[in-house]
Amino acid sequence: MESLKVMIVDDSTFSIAVLKKMLEKSGLEVVATALNMHEAIEKARLNTFDLITMDMTLPDGDGIECSREILKNDKTAKIIAISSMMDEEIIKNANAAGIKAYLQKPVNQSELNTSIERLFEGEELYRILSANFEEAFKESIFSFLKREIGGEILIEDNEPTSVSTSKSSGISVTIGMIGRHNGRCIIDMSDDTSMNMTKKILQDDSQSIDNAIAFLSEFTNVVAGNACSLLNGLNRSFGLRVSPPTVFRGNDITISIGDIKSKSYSIKTELGDVFMNVGFQKVGNEWM
Amino acid sequence: MDVTMINPFINAAIEVLPQLGFQSVSHKGLTVKTKNIIASGVVVTLGIVGDKKGNVVYSIDKEGAKKIASIMMMGMPVDELDEMAKSALSELSNMLTANAGINFSNEGINVDISVPTLMYGEDIELSMNKDQIICSEFDVDGIKLEISIALA
Repeated sequence: MESLKVMIVDDSTFSIAVLKKMLEKSGLEVVATALNMHEAIEKARLNTFDLITMDMTLPDGDGIECSREILKNDKTAKIIAISSMMDEEIIKNANAAGIKAYLQKPVNQSELNTSIERLFEGEELYRILSANFEEAFKESIFSFLKREIGGEILIEDNEPTSVSTSKSSGISVTIGMIGRHNGRCIIDMSDDTSMNMTKKILQDDSQSIDNAIAFLSEFTNVVAGNACSLLNGLNRSFGLRVSPPTVFRGNDITISIGDIKSKSYSIKTELGDVFMNVGFQKVGNEWM
Repeated sequence: MDVTMINPFINAAIEVLPQLGFQSVSHKGLTVKTKNIIASGVVVTLGIVGDKKGNVVYSIDKEGAKKIASIMMMGMPVDELDEMAKSALSELSNMLTANAGINFSNEGINVDISVPTLMYGEDIELSMNKDQIICSEFDVDGIKLEISIALA
């Protein structure tokens, strides 16, 4: 772990010294210490720390109250409780307050390392996923269309008129992606486009709309499945799996896409346009 | 498909909805559908993978969806399905499905769920890649909530 910046909150200078040594051994940089709640809140307000260790008993309050205040100002603050006290009640309260992990004093080095690793592993994976999913999906849909439909395939970033919704062209297929972080992929096209593609792939002009739906359903499945495999190949810890597709068809469907951080594309083919939206949501660390 | 597969979802609804401020939650019954489902209003779908694989779809008519969103937001009036209301409905589907997941795990079946996808409109034809879809209808404070699952 490369120099994550830490603040230690503890009313005992002895504890601070011990923790400082251990955190530094874990490769972290202790850049601030606070002996009471007031000081901790003030320092957290003025600085950004990657991690805050929190004692539960402080002279002017308790660690839970202090954590709540810090999290009020910075929802993303990562706080782990390190206290001599540890019982069910206090762990429950700490969890509810937004504290990420609870360690009991005296803390041993490996316990501390494990907690820190688990705390940051999810973040790092999400960063890698965010940086790579677009390419994976573009590549996946491109190679499918190129292989099955042929002709010129043009993928454009779609700047939707509304950031939160998209109007369906007729048939919309959604697939859930489940792993360390979760997401979903939506592919949408008109009845006509879907029919045209089905006719071309099956080389048979007598196609029903049911065949077209079956095609689009499988198309989405292959695009999402291949893209997830590409991503899993990049880092096995993504552990992405796809759920079966759900198909929505109608003349007046609005798709809500603003709920998670997602990207939209319009793909132009000789047989019609395709809309694709892909997004992943960061799944927080489980309580440790 | 085994009809009892719906039970974890029914129990989740009965358990979770009252906690969100709904007064009366009653289960009206089950139907097994072999054809496409037609829904109007708001539909939210989540993918499920693990020991069982499939999808769950929650459907509510538009007025009902607004009422549910309003109750979930502590009675705040909801005149249109804005981002906040949609987010409340997505969250509801998340809670119900996560809770159903816990109910499954209590029976030794482990499943994970995806993020929800929310769509709305009129006469939405829904197909779920399975021959049989089990639909369970609820009356939630006078609002009709339908839970449809295709799991195997």
